[in-house]
Amino acid sequence: MIGAVQKMLTSSNLASIAQNTTQSVAIETTLKSIGRPGFILIDNDIDSDTKQYAAAKEFLYQATCLAVYMALIVPVFKKGGFKLAKEKLFKNTNGFEHFANVNEYLHYRKLADNPSINNRQATLSKELITSKNKVSDKYNETLLAELKKEHPEKFAYVKGAVELSNIVGSVLGLAILAPQVSHAFIHPALRFLGLEDKNKKAQSQSQKIDTKA
Amino acid sequence: MSLADILKRTCKKLGENNKPTYVVMAIATVKGICRPTFTMMDKTENPETKKYTALREGLTEVIAIPAYWACGELAGGLAKKVFAKDKALANRAATNLMFMGVCVAALFVIPGLCSVAIKPIMDKMGLKAPDKKDQPKKMIQEVPNTYSPVSLNPLLYKNKFPQMQAFTSRPQTGLRVGGL
Repeated sequence: MIGAVQKMLTSSNLASIAQNTTQSVAIETTLKSIGRPGFILIDNDIDSDTKQYAAAKEFLYQATCLAVYMALIVPVFKKGGFKLAKEKLFKNTNGFEHFANVNEYLHYRKLADNPSINNRQATLSKELITSKNKVSDKYNETLLAELKKEHPEKFAYVKGAVELSNIVGSVLGLAILAPQVSHAFIHPALRFLGLEDKNKKAQSQSQKIDTKA
Repeated sequence: MSLADILKRTCKKLGENNKPTYVVMAIATVKGICRPTFTMMDKTENPETKKYTALREGLTEVIAIPAYWACGELAGGLAKKVFAKDKALANRAATNLMFMGVCVAALFVIPGLCSVAIKPIMDKMGLKAPDKKDQPKKMIQEVPNTYSPVSLNPLLYKNKFPQMQAFTSRPQTGLRVGGL
């Protein structure tokens, strides 16, 4: 039991998720979409209809945030940030010259994080699914030499540029864009679920007619 | 120091150690500024509602920022103490536990603190939840039209003893011709 807990706490996969802005934000948003509606539902001070409505609204808000984040922010800022850093900020220096795009760097980083040199070499000798080329063909001599070392260069500037771009994208997406999108989406969704009056205007008009009658 | 130098230093620092608390605290800070601002800019809402909603949104993020920081740092510090013998393992465990701390904050600590703290604070400020335009649909159960014949005839209220017409099976509404 203690061994399993220790293994989980020192897991390299979990550390990789924790150091990755997009993955950690996606997990936290998912947890928020469970936690916040859950706490609304267990609140005894609110009547059950209001609780149901508020919990559904909060869940829909977090779900919209997650959808907007995954669909727009992740691809745009991850690729855009790398390109901007490579072409403008670092101008093909500090490790950027070795990588054509962000996916190439992330794959290299994953290999470099693997502590076993044998595992790295085994991965490099594998064939790519899309073509008959080997994985090692993607990397230049410098990178292949690094991967043979016990502690290979991880190109902190490249990783940092990607993460900084992801943080900026996450902030813009979750704090500014997603609330605007969710504002337009939530009320129709609540009406569709039957938690908000469908024909409020029609009802108020008919009430006026009734009072006159 | 130019902006490019600051960005380069930030990139290096983030590349070496991107703490899970950085992004969540950044999001909470911007949310704490932008969401109340957007609410106050809404011209369709009445001023009292705007004030209440904006303050509530602001308070939520004010609670979230220290909660994320405290949970992350406490969990990270605990990992460093537990794995003090192996520095490489301690760093990895600190990152993982810091992430778990942030997750616990998002799932339990912040919603819990908000549900406990916000209402008393708003009450102390003298702000009460105004009537909202988008109230939940009230679940009014339709009562079947089962008017007793007694209640339809006001004259029967005065008479303690029901008359024969009170027990008629005929409908008591609509156009009737002849009979009871």
